Amino acid sequence: MATSVATSFHIRFSACNLISPDLCHLNPNTNAWKSSQSAEGYKLGRSLKRSLRGSSVVTPMALAADMSQDTDDMYDDLFKKYGKVVYRSKDQKPPTADVDDDAECLAFAVAMAKIASDVKAAEIKLLFVKPLVYWTKFFLITTAYSRPQIDAIRTRISDLAEKQYGKFSTGDTKANSWTLLDFGDIVVHIFLPEQRELYNLEEFYANATPIELPFDNQQSFGR
Amino acid sequence: MIQPQTHLNVADNSGARELMCIRIIGASNRRYARIGDVIVAVIKDAVPNMPLQRSEVVRAVIVRTCKELKRDNGMIIRYDDNAAVVIDQEGNPKGTRVFGAIARELRQFNFTKIVSLAPEVL
Repeated sequence: MATSVATSFHIRFSACNLISPDLCHLNPNTNAWKSSQSAEGYKLGRSLKRSLRGSSVVTPMALAADMSQDTDDMYDDLFKKYGKVVYRSKDQKPPTADVDDDAECLAFAVAMAKIASDVKAAEIKLLFVKPLVYWTKFFLITTAYSRPQIDAIRTRISDLAEKQYGKFSTGDTKANSWTLLDFGDIVVHIFLPEQRELYNLEEFYANATPIELPFDNQQSFGR
Repeated sequence: MIQPQTHLNVADNSGARELMCIRIIGASNRRYARIGDVIVAVIKDAVPNMPLQRSEVVRAVIVRTCKELKRDNGMIIRYDDNAAVVIDQEGNPKGTRVFGAIARELRQFNFTKIVSLAPEVL
């Protein structure tokens, strides 16, 4: 019982924090909460549980009685006893972290595009699809003219990702007419020319922002 | 809960309209298939003048089930229909576009190609 109350209390405090973020600057007026003031939610819940266990005002038995009827009154009592405790979630990222993350992914994607270009992949396109789909950030779409070439691109990209960026791909483990390497934030599609025309991913993601690549992009021979 | 003899809709533009499951791949004696499982199916109904014909045997990935899909965070996803996407032996989809909403679990089962062709991922 004490655990469930502690959890709901924690949720209430989080909501309170959401409503008025400026309250975060207020310090609690009782020293009992100072240790947990900057702690994570887990710690807060545990310390609350501990203090609930020791409190004479709200015993677990009293909680059981109050729970169904007037939990609000109980919360008010707790507020009176312990004052305002404001909790800020630690997993909130600063707004710049997102941009930094994107920039890091972009650097990785451009490095992969460069590798693909070195192995003479054609029509390399880098699309920023984050505004369109939530599950990834960048699409790297390239054409290769044979399966050995696809294999070469795939192994080189995987090596680069593992050695320099410490990332591992899921997806195809051998050359396929549409080989896909999934690095989480970046998805690499290597097509044979026929499949590229058939699936036409660029058209499907036409609203995505194409990103200019800093090297000469080899165009298809036939077109 | 897809088992042999279950009829499924086709959620792509491969030309098949309706499939009937005849075997679940990946386990020797499993009773039911769920989202992300590959099945062997026979085409019961097909669009005319398309490469896939009626009574052809194909492989397909299940993308929607009426049986609810549970996630670790407590979310439950349940669709109105059972639907599958026709794939070839290499795992590439035979159609070029996928219709309707699909679950993100397909990506964990290495069907990112299907996910990248879908208009909506839940």
